[in-house]
Amino acid sequence: MLCAVAPALTAIALGILLQPIGDATWARYGYSLSPDRANLLSLVLIAAGVAVIVAGAIMAFRAYRRANDFVAAAAELDDLLECNQEIVTFATLANPSTPESSRERRTPLFPILWRRAIALFGGLDIRREFKLEVGEPLKRSSIFAGVVALAMVLATLGLVRAPTPENREAAKLRTIAEEIARTSTSADDTALADNVRKAADALENSKLPPEEKKARLEEAMKQARKAAEKRNNSQSGKNQGNGKSASQNGKGSGNSKGQGNSSGSGSGQGKSGTGSGQNAGGNNSGPGKGGSANNSGKNQGGNGSAKNDKNKSDQNNIELQNELAKAEAQVETANAKNPGPDSQPGNDKNQGGANKPGDKSNQSGTQPDPNKPGDIPKPGANGDRNLPNAGGNPKNNTDMGSNLGDTHLGEMPTSTNAQRFLKPGEKGSTVDIRDARYVMFRLPGAPTTGNGGKTVLDTDRPKATTAYVNAPLAPTRDDAPPDERQLVPPRYRDMIH
Amino acid sequence: MGAAPQQISPDQRVADFRKIFSRAESEVARVIVGHREVVRKMLTALFCGGHILIEGVPGLGKTLMVKAASETLGLSFKRIQFTPDLMPSDIIGTQVLTEAEGHREFQFKEGPIFAHMVLGDEINRATPKTQSAVLEAMEEHQVTVFGTTYILEPPYIVLATQNPIELEGTYPLPEAQMDRFIFKVVMGSPKPDELREILNRTTGTAQNKIQPLFEPSHAPRAIEDLKALVREVMVAEPLERYIIGVIGGCTPGGPGTLPEVSQYLRFGPSPRGAQALILCAKVNALLAGRVSVSYDDIDDAIIPCLRHRLLLNFQAEAESVTAESILEQVIKRLKKPRT
Repeated sequence: MLCAVAPALTAIALGILLQPIGDATWARYGYSLSPDRANLLSLVLIAAGVAVIVAGAIMAFRAYRRANDFVAAAAELDDLLECNQEIVTFATLANPSTPESSRERRTPLFPILWRRAIALFGGLDIRREFKLEVGEPLKRSSIFAGVVALAMVLATLGLVRAPTPENREAAKLRTIAEEIARTSTSADDTALADNVRKAADALENSKLPPEEKKARLEEAMKQARKAAEKRNNSQSGKNQGNGKSASQNGKGSGNSKGQGNSSGSGSGQGKSGTGSGQNAGGNNSGPGKGGSANNSGKNQGGNGSAKNDKNKSDQNNIELQNELAKAEAQVETANAKNPGPDSQPGNDKNQGGANKPGDKSNQSGTQPDPNKPGDIPKPGANGDRNLPNAGGNPKNNTDMGSNLGDTHLGEMPTSTNAQRFLKPGEKGSTVDIRDARYVMFRLPGAPTTGNGGKTVLDTDRPKATTAYVNAPLAPTRDDAPPDERQLVPPRYRDMIH
Repeated sequence: MGAAPQQISPDQRVADFRKIFSRAESEVARVIVGHREVVRKMLTALFCGGHILIEGVPGLGKTLMVKAASETLGLSFKRIQFTPDLMPSDIIGTQVLTEAEGHREFQFKEGPIFAHMVLGDEINRATPKTQSAVLEAMEEHQVTVFGTTYILEPPYIVLATQNPIELEGTYPLPEAQMDRFIFKVVMGSPKPDELREILNRTTGTAQNKIQPLFEPSHAPRAIEDLKALVREVMVAEPLERYIIGVIGGCTPGGPGTLPEVSQYLRFGPSPRGAQALILCAKVNALLAGRVSVSYDDIDDAIIPCLRHRLLLNFQAEAESVTAESILEQVIKRLKKPRT
């Protein structure tokens, strides 16, 4: 039983703590088990631990019964003292459970046996012979436990997978939700944190359809915007009351900058009408700048530590909106890569309708952008897949966005997910674009016109604290010969000189 | 020595047994060089109340050994040379018409089977009819002639020999008859130093006189007391189960049969085998100074007690598998029970 305790407890503890261990692994190393695998592994561990405990209990019960058996206990003693089965014979003939039959089997030689058995018992040191050995069983079981743990580690390593972009995004959302919940001052903030957590769960849930995920994210986004707006309004009132002109100026400057960016992007996108994933990215950028300006103004007009907390909350909210927007884009990108059954090529080409004014102001139009590399059709029948499909159902959107590219042989370069430029001061793996032929940027979404063609400010857009900075491109190498060797039919080779 | 058991203490009886057994071995060793194991098994069979089958080529001193043992123990000895024309009446005895005091009557003339120790030399040379005449005497310790039963005076032991060579014209002992021997011992050729000792003793002028342990008149009673002592030795339940396991393991189709047994045996040992095992183990225990049997005592008895009770099949004979090798496997494989 003692042998079984250590491995069993190890297995059960591992099974119970697998979730926190997985979370810690995720937080520190960025690896995780998928929830179904983690649950299965946890169940297996707990079941193995329980099985070992049950087996140990059965063995302990059997040992207990054997120890209670008079003759069997005598046999144990016999083995221990190496007395040629004299003690077990004595026990057989003096068994208190069957006194009659035992007495009948005795012969005139029984007194000799009695004396010899007593003499043998005299030499028995119970403390020495039946020493409670804890160290040895634990040592043996620790070897077994080590083997089990090693096997489990290997199994876990075999099952572990690199996190998907959705996982990363969900983790970030959860972190922000924790931060919001920690610094929450109102019931709205708590509700917002809960909503964000739910959105993160939905984002990770592979069983949910993308529309559902998007709806949850948008709901969280709306709530975050409302909270930000509420905070801004209250702050604005305070600032006006204080008469801090610097603050007002700062805010005004920020807004106008945001508008400028937005309008520039809007005109471009109106032509291009690329995928909605791009639009989402563009939308984030615009409000971010405006938000930065707002914060700057507020900080100038701030007067005390309470304002710092306020700024912190604002920053959290901004970050939250950024991450939600990214997550939304992520969902759309993923959906675009794994189109649903109704996204048959050819059905939805050129069907990206223009945004209706007042409907989704940040969505771009359907005009193809001739400058977009993706618009260059592939040689062959699949060229129509590259046609834009923005604004429509994400399921039908087969536009690959950054996958588009021009090659001589019709092979499209495939970009990796979640490539983004680093913020100033942010560390991380950089995007290598030295040899890139095309680089696509997600520009801020255009503030689309609504209300009869008037330009309106999109106050709901997320606001970033820091402007995104594009990394410089590699010097153009237009004069350099292409790396690829173009296959030229022999009859035309003489013409190339 | 050899007094009634109620007059001396159990300890003294055990000590006497060991002393008598040891002295008998020593006395026989005066005239028989080597073959200590055969002598020990012969004496063991005597104290167990069984009979012994000795297998060996002629000239190894089988007759001399039995004769020496009978002289040592003060018991009567008869020898029967089994031949194909030997009749049962030649062994058992017959009614002879005699005339006395004016009238004639049939008088029973005892055959050579009426002795304490009977040596049946080359028993496999006699016809089955004659061989079977010995069966009743061996098992029942009595013979019946013309409706009259004659009791063979205890102790009674038959020591049969058979020659493993020159099998032409012989009648191998049937299994039923083989089963009546408690042991089958194989007498091998003497080693060179033993042979030199034999030559020195038998070709010189020196006479090795045997000192009898008992007066002939007291000997039967003394031997019977010692036989009773053997039966008083105690056996624990787990050891009885072990013996049952050994018998079961050697029986094809029985519980716990080993693969070798199923492959090479036609029949396994009978319950007589188990009885022989226990009795032999008891003698071994007494010789070790104990009054209870141990696993080692049983293991020591397994091969001589069971080797002639296993009936090998054709495959075993074709592959030269012996009963001894199978029994060794059984001893090795069977785990001694620890309840």
